Amino acid sequence: MSWTKIQVRGQPIPRVPARNHRMINSFVCGVSIKSHHRVSNVLRTNGSSLGSVPIRTTESQFLRGDGNGRFGRFGGKFVPETLMSPLKDLEDEFNFVLGDHEFQEELTTALRDYAGRETPLYFAGRLTEHYKSISRTTGDGPEIYLKREDLSHCGSHKINNALAQAMIARRLGCSRVVAATGAGQHGVATAAACAKFSLECTVFMGTADKEKQFSNVLSMKMLGAQVKSVEGTFKDASSEAIRNWVGNLKTTYYLSGTVVGPHPSPLMVREFQSVIGKETRRQANQLWVGKPDVLVACVGSGSNALGLFHEFVGDEDVRLVGVEAAGFGLDSGKHSATLAVGDVGVYHGSMSYLLQDDEGQILKPHSVGVGLEYPGVGPEISFLKEAGRAEFYTATDQEAIQACRLLSRLEGIIPALEPSHALAFLDKLVPTLRDGAKVVVNCSGRGDKDLDTLIQRGLPSSLC
Amino acid sequence: MATSGTASTFRPSISASSRLTHLRSPPSKVPNFTPLPSPRSRSFSVSCTIAKDPTFLMAEAENTKTAGSDPTLWKRPDSFGRFGKFGGKYVPETLMHALSELETAFYSLATDDDFQRELAGILKDYVGRESPLYFAERLTEHYRRENGEGPLIYLKREDLNHTGAHKINNAVAQALLAKRLGKKRIIAETGAGQHGVATATVCARFGLQCIIYMGAQDMERQALNVFRMRLLGAEVRGVHSGTATLKDATSEAIRDWVTNVETTHYILGSVAGPHPYPMMVRDFHAVIGKETRRQAMEKWGGKPDVLVACVGGGSNAMGLFHEFVDDTEVRMIGVEAAGFGLDSGKHAATLTKGDVGVLHGAMSYLLQDDDGQIIEPHSISAGLDYPGVGPEHSFLKDMGRAEYYSVTDEEALEAFKRVSRLEGIIPALETSHALAHLEKLCPTLPDGARVVLNFSGRGDKDVQTAIKYLEV
Repeated sequence: MSWTKIQVRGQPIPRVPARNHRMINSFVCGVSIKSHHRVSNVLRTNGSSLGSVPIRTTESQFLRGDGNGRFGRFGGKFVPETLMSPLKDLEDEFNFVLGDHEFQEELTTALRDYAGRETPLYFAGRLTEHYKSISRTTGDGPEIYLKREDLSHCGSHKINNALAQAMIARRLGCSRVVAATGAGQHGVATAAACAKFSLECTVFMGTADKEKQFSNVLSMKMLGAQVKSVEGTFKDASSEAIRNWVGNLKTTYYLSGTVVGPHPSPLMVREFQSVIGKETRRQANQLWVGKPDVLVACVGSGSNALGLFHEFVGDEDVRLVGVEAAGFGLDSGKHSATLAVGDVGVYHGSMSYLLQDDEGQILKPHSVGVGLEYPGVGPEISFLKEAGRAEFYTATDQEAIQACRLLSRLEGIIPALEPSHALAFLDKLVPTLRDGAKVVVNCSGRGDKDLDTLIQRGLPSSLC
Repeated sequence: MATSGTASTFRPSISASSRLTHLRSPPSKVPNFTPLPSPRSRSFSVSCTIAKDPTFLMAEAENTKTAGSDPTLWKRPDSFGRFGKFGGKYVPETLMHALSELETAFYSLATDDDFQRELAGILKDYVGRESPLYFAERLTEHYRRENGEGPLIYLKREDLNHTGAHKINNAVAQALLAKRLGKKRIIAETGAGQHGVATATVCARFGLQCIIYMGAQDMERQALNVFRMRLLGAEVRGVHSGTATLKDATSEAIRDWVTNVETTHYILGSVAGPHPYPMMVRDFHAVIGKETRRQAMEKWGGKPDVLVACVGGGSNAMGLFHEFVDDTEVRMIGVEAAGFGLDSGKHAATLTKGDVGVLHGAMSYLLQDDDGQIIEPHSISAGLDYPGVGPEHSFLKDMGRAEYYSVTDEEALEAFKRVSRLEGIIPALETSHALAHLEKLCPTLPDGARVVLNFSGRGDKDVQTAIKYLEV
């Protein structure tokens, strides 16, 4: 069983032509895809303790999706009949825990004592100084802050979501969790959360990825997870994991690591990652009695980006900048810049931008940042792009590696190659900003897992 | 992890001002100070097998007029840098001035609000403090006895710090101190590379030139850490003399310091070495214990009953213990490395099997043979692989204030796997020694006893090693 891949070409209101017989058996859940809905988001019932929520205007509510899995024309639930019921159960459970005080308390405690939240908002003085010294102006230049998700347990933002979903899995009475991982960070976070909550854990990982991120494979095994190889990369591992889930629905929970997949995954993962943005708002207020001017994050599928952005989607004076992987360059055909050159279609259960050829076949993505190597992107990200609320750019492998070296040398922080893409974009962004502009970059993970890659690339002679 | 406002990050334990030794111009031929004797030269270490009865010695020592059993009366250290008979400043004349300068700077910065504020800010935003005090539910359950009784296990999460261990607390503070002293050049020695990485990290952060001395043998075994240090902008100098390991790197680093003392600060990684280092490094790590006191009060309205920490040089243990030394109802347990076993001759259990002598500038217990030659230690964990131990630990042991045990490589590896599986936290192999000791400790503890274990580092660096030994 494979997911339907439907190519929708250049129509203002997308229709979904039936490409094969499987389409007949699946249907879009929720709102008709023909119209945009400005429906209020009724997610929060009795007030969640995930942090105080700013007043939402109709505009900002629109920008957050309809709460039923639709973000404009993107999203949805393109799945076979067998999955409709478990997905509905999941959605119900998710809506319940959002307002459940006990769950929220347990999650907050776990995030604080186990994962190590809140993560600091760190003023990168030497990086700021670096950009100031190479700029043309004599002013103070923008100020660069790093949201230190690299300090979280397991070394990336992935744990925020893994913990919460593992708790949901336990509530649903599942004894077993399956997940798919690219760079391994989600795999490790899931394995850790499962160990903590006494759940059996199986992680699917592409053979190509296993080679590049071998230390993460070892960590997952150490944490008690079973690691299963899948020929290919993350997209293939995802498909296999979903297949495994479908075959074991009664006992198994599929722990999605990012904001893709059929509803409620994109919504759920974004909600659990949104703690990043909530903390940032509070910290920015403490530090400079204001908001950030620009938020920058790397975009693979979009979980860390949405985690930072979501809180500020309604604040029009806050720019949202996502940076995708341009690999060897956009013209090389070896990249993962879905939003830059992709088309809209359905993949892994939701409608979004994706890298596809003229026949609607998925293209093989590439990036030195393995976590960005995904031919699709979260539907909410596609929506924010189309609505013009967020801007998306790209950075090449080489630019990312340079940025990694720069931060290591200037701040003593070795970032993962994924957020290195976001850092790389500062080269182009900073000269365009006014003095004193506050830039917050999501440092979504630490770079220990990438040392082998960096060693292969060597160090410039000036650094030895 | 944000703190609402930390008090003074460290406070020196004694109020007496240091006495500057009178300055003499350095001798024309700088003595080759080798704190560890090379096979060909004479031993410099003092092998003291005087009375093993500490109270007898306490009465004799002129600077320690303390009653044996009241910790509040102990001078830790006294004005000569002594903890009882341990500690001191066994260094060549050339280094005396630098050490005094360091001591003076350290005391003055203790009351310098700007410095304290800056340090607290860096610990919070850069290092990621405060580290959580995490209730390990599954580990607690593992030690619950059949009748439902058992102790409660809490882990002080130093593994969540930037760079993954407690080492950064001290590195950051010393780098800041060096900057205040106007030094632009930092040197350090490293064995497995963890201290080197922490030092390189802070030097990058503060824009200081960084030179790390590492044994050539170690460089081969720890290529990843060597690369890390270089990526962070440090220069890594291989040391080929002797056995080309940690002790030779230390000698080389000291040699460099003697030569460049005006411009250079030596970041020592543990509570060993000449005064004021044991005191300074302890005070910089004392934030661990201070936070623990506050967190324990918040969580259960009391103090810990037992503190457990692994001991190599002793810095993470002192960091946790120091705050509670005066609270005599709090038990303090240090766990050393027994390697292949205490009788195998291949271990690093200094406090259990060592004798008193002088190593790296301080009098302390150390692993030495009958001729006073240093015995090459062994532990599967590089951080515990040290033939000496901080002088304050030697003192606390002799005073009976702290208890010291040891754990073999095998027991540590089992604990490594156990905690990874039960709590989803991979401990460093060093920390695994403390975790392993819980197996012997917990059955003896009363119901509800609260154990705080210093989770001094994460084990990503050790997974490769562990997997070879374990069936995973």
